[in-house]
Amino acid sequence: MKTTYTLSIFTSNTIGLLNRITIIFTRRRLNIESLTVCETERVGVSRFTIVIRHDSREAVEKLVRQIRKVVDVLAVFGYLDHEIVFNEIALFKIATPLGGTPLNIKEINLDWNAKVVHWGLDYVVIEKNGTEQEISEFYEYIKNWEILEYLKSGRVAVGKTEKGLVEYLPEGNWEVV
Amino acid sequence: MAAQTQTMTSEPKAKETEQFLTGAQAIMQSLVEQGVDTIFGYPGGAIMPTYDALYDYQDRLKHILVRHEQGAGHAAQGYARMTNRAGVAMVTSGPGATNLMTPIADAMLDSTPLVCIVGQVKGNLLGTDAFQECDIIGISMPITKWNYQVVDADEIPEVIAKAFHIAEAGRPGPVLIDITRTAQTDKMTKPFHYPKEVDVISYRPRTVPKQEHVEAAAKLINAAKKPYILAGHGVLLANAQDELKEFIEKAGIPVATTLLGMSAVDADHPLYVGWPGMHGNYGANVLTNECDVLIAIGMRFDDRITGDLGTYAKQAKVVHIEIDPAEINKNVFADAPVVGDAKEALKALIPLVKQNSYPEWRAEFAKYDAIEYEKITKKDIFHEGDQIKMGEAVVMLSEKTKGEAVTVTDVGQHQMISNRYYRFKKPFSSVTSGGAGTMGFALPAAFGAKVGAPDREVVAIIGDGGFQMTLQELGTIAQSGLPVKIIILNNNFLGMVRQWQQLFFDRRYSFVELQNPDFITIAKGFGIAGHTVSDRTQLSESLDTLLNSDKPYLLEIICEKEENVFPMVPAGTCVTNVILE
Repeated sequence: MKTTYTLSIFTSNTIGLLNRITIIFTRRRLNIESLTVCETERVGVSRFTIVIRHDSREAVEKLVRQIRKVVDVLAVFGYLDHEIVFNEIALFKIATPLGGTPLNIKEINLDWNAKVVHWGLDYVVIEKNGTEQEISEFYEYIKNWEILEYLKSGRVAVGKTEKGLVEYLPEGNWEVV
Repeated sequence: MAAQTQTMTSEPKAKETEQFLTGAQAIMQSLVEQGVDTIFGYPGGAIMPTYDALYDYQDRLKHILVRHEQGAGHAAQGYARMTNRAGVAMVTSGPGATNLMTPIADAMLDSTPLVCIVGQVKGNLLGTDAFQECDIIGISMPITKWNYQVVDADEIPEVIAKAFHIAEAGRPGPVLIDITRTAQTDKMTKPFHYPKEVDVISYRPRTVPKQEHVEAAAKLINAAKKPYILAGHGVLLANAQDELKEFIEKAGIPVATTLLGMSAVDADHPLYVGWPGMHGNYGANVLTNECDVLIAIGMRFDDRITGDLGTYAKQAKVVHIEIDPAEINKNVFADAPVVGDAKEALKALIPLVKQNSYPEWRAEFAKYDAIEYEKITKKDIFHEGDQIKMGEAVVMLSEKTKGEAVTVTDVGQHQMISNRYYRFKKPFSSVTSGGAGTMGFALPAAFGAKVGAPDREVVAIIGDGGFQMTLQELGTIAQSGLPVKIIILNNNFLGMVRQWQQLFFDRRYSFVELQNPDFITIAKGFGIAGHTVSDRTQLSESLDTLLNSDKPYLLEIICEKEENVFPMVPAGTCVTNVILE
């Protein structure tokens, strides 16, 4: 049985680091389910959120140590789903041709917690935030209309601990952005 | 951020005080301030501005012109293995840089500190498929500890200081700096300052282990009835051979050294039991699966040592002393991990372990030694057939050099035989390509070792196959005049592959027989004297000629063609599955 693991990787903001991290996965033939990179609230610190599915916790622990070994990596954590708050963002471009079934905006807003973020001439763009599960349920609902395009971001996640980022980082003068 | 003290030690030259240094001059000045004395290199287009700057630095930096960039890399490795400081290789972009990839991969696997300075095309040409452009940062990423592309001359001193720090700190490894031609030719926009102390906030390896971890290890060791130590390269890299000696003598524990840890313990020490692994000693392998506490120091449980992990030392509690935390539990689960430098860990451990001796347990090793001597060693060294055996040649070399030479071996049968029969009396005496198994390593590495340790006798021992992979470095050796002694153990075969084909592929000898050149004529062409010996009665005299030469010398020893290396644990099987004949 494969389990979903979310890796939070804090790094210094250097060119080429994305490569250095992803080759650790490819070398072990691990498929990355999703990958999100962003800056953090501390100057010069980037945060990678990588989701993988694996059947061996031990192998994931080894992977975490190999990532930590990269010179520019500051800290790495591997989380199970219950240990984090996580979300993704999905965009649906839905056709609204003249004479088609109208969208039920109220239902979309209130029941599905999604919203129309752009009104085109004969289409709308709907944004839906949530877990993979919630987004997939919404997909099942919205596919009653014609989906012109659908895409979603990788997962972003924070750990359910009291600690702030700076407590995970090596001792230093971490300036706030 | 820790303070960075910035100093200028060398007197700036008059013209340099008038204006700031160029990037190329900054590279040279950085190397001088770092205390580098030797660069192994090869010039070419993209690194020419730096070679031009080197012209003015010849009084402070010795540059050795190799014959192929791979030679520069392996020579820098040999130098590093002798000095425990980063070896420096400098080459041009494109093919110059790609030729350096094999030594870099080798240094990565064998934890050898290297700083490779590589030229790159002009900044404005990056990504345009320019002449001799290649994405060497991308190519070298998986095989370097750290790499960095410099596009701004101002960055140079800091990047070079960081490169040396990362190459040498913690578990050492190769670092590559790719410097665009523009960054070499541009002037810096500020005065040159070389940081003497570097703190990389994301890389602060733990050297002093946690006390509670050392205590947990000591507790296991003190309770052991049949403890056994495996000492690896980490002992030598931490310069911890004296601490290791003190530790084994106090705790009375038998110790084996890995191929890379070879010479960390005096071969004649009563507690030394040889080496584990595919061609290691009988007892050193079998008793791995009988010890109750296995103490691994500065080693990484390579598959050539463990064989099948599923059956490896399952009965033993494992103490793993290792500076690289990623190695803990990677292959073998550690009951008592100690993350730290081998020297610091042993210093902390020595007062906590009880004085002890294990006569019955040690007798087990002696029992296996006796069988091995009877079945293998005796046949190798008191051979009576027509042709010389590699083993007898190495034993004779070991005796003649009193076990005090540095042997630099290539890869294959001769490598195993050399490390099996040479009795190392001094630390830092075996240089070999262990993890990568790079044929062609020995000749340039032996040269680099001689440069790093000019007062030691350096003997390269190479097979006839490997010799032909980098033999052009005879030119480098001849030009330097350094008395590197070269032995070719010639069996006219790619011997180890042939041995595997014999044992595991029904003697189907697929492309392993070589039509060799006249090696002595080749050496003479390079200006190096040499001779061939095939008669046992002349072997002693031949080795004397080699060792007494005050110039480089090549001795070709014609060996038995189809000799096999035993003992052997077939790949991926249990360490008790030892083939003796």
